[in-house]
Amino acid sequence: MKLAFALAAATLFGTGAYLLLHRDLVRVVLGVVLISQAAVLTLIASGLTRGAAPIYPLTERAVSDPLSQGMALTAIVIGLAVTALLLVLVLRVVESFRSREIDDVAEDEAEHDAELEQRHGREHDEEEAAAR
Amino acid sequence: MTALALALVVPWAAGIVLALLDGRRRLVGWIAVAVLAANLAALVVLATQVLPDGRVEATTGNWPTGVGITLRADALSVLFALLSSLALLAATVHEVLDGVRERVFPGLVVLLATGLSGVFLTGDIFDFYVFFELAMTAAYILATYGGTRRELGAALVFTAVNLLGTFIFLLAVAGLYHVTGTLDMAQAAARLARVDPNAAILIAVGFFAAFSVKLGLFPFHFWLPTVYTGARPAVAAILSGGLANIGAYGLLRFGGQLLPGELELAHTALIVIGCASILYGGLLAVSRRTSSEMLAYSAIGQVGYVLVAVGVGGQVGFAAAILYSVINALNKTLLFLTVQMRGALVGAAFAIGAFSVAGVPPAAGFVGKLELFRAAADSPAVLALFVLGSALSFVYVFQIYQFDFWRGERTGPPSTWPQRSLIAVLALVVLGVGLWPEPLLALSHDAAALLAGTAG
Repeated sequence: MKLAFALAAATLFGTGAYLLLHRDLVRVVLGVVLISQAAVLTLIASGLTRGAAPIYPLTERAVSDPLSQGMALTAIVIGLAVTALLLVLVLRVVESFRSREIDDVAEDEAEHDAELEQRHGREHDEEEAAAR
Repeated sequence: MTALALALVVPWAAGIVLALLDGRRRLVGWIAVAVLAANLAALVVLATQVLPDGRVEATTGNWPTGVGITLRADALSVLFALLSSLALLAATVHEVLDGVRERVFPGLVVLLATGLSGVFLTGDIFDFYVFFELAMTAAYILATYGGTRRELGAALVFTAVNLLGTFIFLLAVAGLYHVTGTLDMAQAAARLARVDPNAAILIAVGFFAAFSVKLGLFPFHFWLPTVYTGARPAVAAILSGGLANIGAYGLLRFGGQLLPGELELAHTALIVIGCASILYGGLLAVSRRTSSEMLAYSAIGQVGYVLVAVGVGGQVGFAAAILYSVINALNKTLLFLTVQMRGALVGAAFAIGAFSVAGVPPAAGFVGKLELFRAAADSPAVLALFVLGSALSFVYVFQIYQFDFWRGERTGPPSTWPQRSLIAVLALVVLGVGLWPEPLLALSHDAAALLAGTAG
């Protein structure tokens, strides 16, 4: 059972990491979702015990570990909220850049840097000229 | 106990209400400031209770101890909570005086304060994750504050990278629960000593990667310059003065208290990464000509000192790491807030911050550097690197000071006097810590003794 969980979590994490490295922003979001699912699976697997559902009043039999289930539930809820937030962010980026490729966002940044560099270079040249 | 609950509940409840109101209205902004001040006051009261007794504990929801989530305040957590609360308060006052531009700003800052207080005051590892995520989620949205294309692009990078960091943290939490069977920090620390070293090393690496992403240490720093230069000054001050404290606190709490054996094992690696961070940050900061870019790279360099001190370890090393993170957060809050301001008073405040970053006597940075030198006294190579790093930081801060204030490259309307007096107050705090460092020194030594005590 542990092996199955480990394999599943590893596959999810690997696929997620692969998608995260993509240029398409929607795939990046999907990558984050898959990695969050890998984390949830690992949380479940961290307390794998056999037993009755841990609901009060408890019966005589042993119950399964409620803590890892609680953690997994919390992680799922937080993961959902964060995914929604990330999607909104991507939507706003798509609207303002008219593109969903990370390259275009990076290009914008690079242009800004080049502009700054150029301005500073020009100022530096002027200073040199003034000093001479 | 009451102060502990109030420090969390007040900003939490107020944050939810404030998120529904229009933050562009002056009144809402000032309510947020009042809530943050209340949070700070509760933390001060908590500190007065914690420091004589050692710790204050509470179990939430009337559960028996050991079942419910534990809230625990000791010297280390109170110090970091106070610091972050102060940074957030200063940045919010600054932004409210300037006029808030988006309706969500006050609510988000208050929720961020809740998350930070929770992270520092919890004694439960999964609860740490929940508050951590609360603080981070607020920060992701704050990073878009301003709403132009640059901020959006920066926020996207920030969110994607840091989400990966939090999920790695979650994986490490799952591993920790699997090997120890507990989520309580004190219990986990006791049980981890008997755990198979291979598993413990894997868990330690997970925690280290997660907190390094948060701190912006050298190999994990790639997101940081874009975000810090893209964001508005108040947001940059909140991120570097408040949020980055999670990274330093996490390294100390999880490395120093929970996994001391693994920390010792990795001490050479930590010192090497820290030194790389100092050099990389320093060299790139020297090559920058705008203050926000310089500060962003300087942030990468300054956390390198903290990591080196953590790597040195022991009471002296931890004390230096704590003290330097506090002073660094104060410096960065002050300097980032001055980025878009003009005037003689602002120039003087910037100079005090610059002295502090470079570690020149009257300012607080000198005390921090002194402790660092004491911690690294045994290895000449690290000492030489500290001297080189300090020299670099001296060059980059005063180069920017010269560009911005002597040649008057800062244009735009002069800042209003309330904003300027806020900056002056912050500068006086930095100066005051340098002139009378005794309380902060004693506090960080207490906190370090606590960490080192549980370690051995």
